[in-house]
Amino acid sequence: MLFPTATFAIFFLLVLPLNWLLMPDPPRWRIFMLVASYVFYGWWDWRFCFLLAASTLVNQVFAVALHRTAGRRSRKLLLLADVVFNLGVLGAFKYYDFFATSFQNSLSDAGLHVSPMLLGAVLPVGISFFTFMALSYVIDVYRGDFTPTSLMKFAVYLSFFPHVVAGPIVRARELIPQFRTPRDPRRIDASRAFFLIASGLFLKVVIATYLADAIVDDVFGTPERYGAVDALVGVYAYAVQIFADFCGYTNIAIGVALLLGFQFPQNFDNPYTATSPRDFWRRWHITLSRWLRDYLYIPLGGNRKGDLVTYRNLMIVMLLGGLWHGAGWPFVFWGGLWGVALVGEHWWDTRRRARGEELPAPTGLGRAWRRVATFNLACLGWVFFRAESIGDAFTLLGRIVTGWGEAPQLVTVGVLLAIAVGIGGQYVPTDVFGRLMASFSRLSPVAQGACLALGLTVVGALGPEGVAPFIYYRF
Amino acid sequence: METPTATRPAVRRRERAAAPDETGRRPLAAGHVIVVVLVALALGTLLNARGLRSSAELREPGWQRETTLALTRPLAWVSGATLLDRPRAALEDAAGHEEAGLKSGTAFQADDTSPPLPPPAGEEPRQRPVFSPSHPARLWVAGDSLVVTPGESMIRAAEDTRAVRAVAPVDGHISTGLSRPDVFDWYRHIRRELQRRKPDVVVLGFGGNDDHPYMTGLPKGVTVDDFGGPTWTREYRRRVDAVMELVTGRARLLVWMGLPITRDADQTRRFEVINAVVHDAAAEHEGVVYLDTYTMFAGGDGGYAEYLPDGQGALVKVRGADGVHFERAGGDRVAAELLKRLRDAFDLRGSG
Repeated sequence: MLFPTATFAIFFLLVLPLNWLLMPDPPRWRIFMLVASYVFYGWWDWRFCFLLAASTLVNQVFAVALHRTAGRRSRKLLLLADVVFNLGVLGAFKYYDFFATSFQNSLSDAGLHVSPMLLGAVLPVGISFFTFMALSYVIDVYRGDFTPTSLMKFAVYLSFFPHVVAGPIVRARELIPQFRTPRDPRRIDASRAFFLIASGLFLKVVIATYLADAIVDDVFGTPERYGAVDALVGVYAYAVQIFADFCGYTNIAIGVALLLGFQFPQNFDNPYTATSPRDFWRRWHITLSRWLRDYLYIPLGGNRKGDLVTYRNLMIVMLLGGLWHGAGWPFVFWGGLWGVALVGEHWWDTRRRARGEELPAPTGLGRAWRRVATFNLACLGWVFFRAESIGDAFTLLGRIVTGWGEAPQLVTVGVLLAIAVGIGGQYVPTDVFGRLMASFSRLSPVAQGACLALGLTVVGALGPEGVAPFIYYRF
Repeated sequence: METPTATRPAVRRRERAAAPDETGRRPLAAGHVIVVVLVALALGTLLNARGLRSSAELREPGWQRETTLALTRPLAWVSGATLLDRPRAALEDAAGHEEAGLKSGTAFQADDTSPPLPPPAGEEPRQRPVFSPSHPARLWVAGDSLVVTPGESMIRAAEDTRAVRAVAPVDGHISTGLSRPDVFDWYRHIRRELQRRKPDVVVLGFGGNDDHPYMTGLPKGVTVDDFGGPTWTREYRRRVDAVMELVTGRARLLVWMGLPITRDADQTRRFEVINAVVHDAAAEHEGVVYLDTYTMFAGGDGGYAEYLPDGQGALVKVRGADGVHFERAGGDRVAAELLKRLRDAFDLRGSG
């Protein structure tokens, strides 16, 4: 079920009142929410529900077993088994065919011909997200940071419909405690919720879909046909498209959860205002960055074991982060590019510290320059992220270098305006949106509803016929 | 001491106007949230009834489509009667969105008075037209979402020959087809683009969204029965013929991309019905080539295959995650086949 559809509107219209009616009775509420979440998830393909249920059961068994096991070695083995299970399932569905064909083709290049069995499995929607959430739950239990909850609560946590398909990646210790006590029905932060939902719809349906159709798909599909201006603006447009698409989705997810009484962590913090690679990753897909930091980077040693180990860890985390996004070499290249950028930043900072130079926060022009540089670095990465192949990415980059003088074919006022809105919106002071929400919250419920209806009309009229699936669904 | 009856209104008042939190936002009680959502959706539905109806009509055949159609039909009527459809229409006009909603019976009929373009000058019958880098064939690719990836590959491959040049990027419109001119009028669009772009070669692909019994733009007095039934087939064939006649009157070659085998067996059966109509029509129109993607993408066992060997024997992913659309390698496969057809039809000189 896609958020910006009439089907979801009807679904939510039923779920919202029932959620609050059943809230005082947590056991019943949990049954209801579990059923609702499975309906939401199964709407895509009901067979995926079995995978979600199996993941729930197996991870809960491991979490309880870990909690009950005292021996250090046994606990380590149990954790290892759980990690193998989760990564095995993820690998089978998402990566097996990719690696099998890469392996077969490498052997073929060397003159050896083998025919590996291919699964040809349909990639279950959201598998990367719920696998990482289940892993965080079991690892937290292993570390003693969290006590296993009941199977029912864990099942609701893993399948909770606002986040199940494309995040944000909410930790068990952030969400499960909220299931333990009924949410307060008298104080819902509705104006923030409605603002997030409306802005999410606008970002996805109007900005992201428009840019994809108007320039991005053409420039990335046949880069050799376009000159430098089209290619460059196409890359900037994709930077805005992917932000609008993913931030739009998580905004709607966070807003929907808020209306049900639950708080999700923030997933984006104006990423194109970042002043360095590290700053970018503190602002982009924050819940994935946190996950990779806490469950991969720090266990690998983080930055505690010297510079070389730190660089190695940064590269491993970013390469695997790239692979998490998709089974393809361009994603690995994208992760590697960011790894090199983070290593470079770390190296530069360390060098300056070693010389006794202070690292003052940049101001004025310095900050503007760093923002421009970081944004363009992110755009360079997006070229590899979006391109069909690494070769295509270099073709597109080549056009940006050599294609000057050719008349632009795809750059229009609408495209430039959408890019300006997508980037400029991130520079609007938070306070402005805060005041807007405060003013909205003082309206009567009927007036609020009327404002939202007008907002829906603007989105419906400016958006194209039919909404393309969210980019992050396939991750 | 306050009586219970005295406290109740006070509580209600407090709930209605809860004090703002530290951010200055006034929280709402759950009941009021439900009211806001109800008002937003009810009013939003009336304001957007026409769009909702269009979306309902685009759905896959089945109970969901029938239910949403039954719900949106009266809503669209009320919205029109109360003029609540006007704001959206005004916004769509301001945004330059193409007008949808053809009157019944106007679709797929040659109502323009402009004569077809004259045949290319200086061309002997049965002699293959010559194209070269200095005089390239003009290629235009259009259709639904299934055409986009192969279309991009076609443009790449064709332009590599230097004897063919695309006159525009792939003109793809998702969720469209020949059944629903009220959603997107392909006949009118093709006619306009032919006049504007003057292509020599046109590649079209439709049908992926036409595998249902619902059709708009029917001639007066005509009704259609079930999908694939005699009246449906007759009307769909009329539309295919109309497009083929339109294109062949103005371009040298029309390549019609058939529908591929898909992961879903039911969908594949429906696609076979559409392929049969197009295949038969192509056989009866001079200057039309039917490009069979069904067998092109079948595996060794004749069934659906996600991976197929490429020209060098390496296994490559040719189909998308949804089991319907194409990956880039799949598009390249279609493009290679298109090039063969172009070389059959034309003398591409100085080409790679």
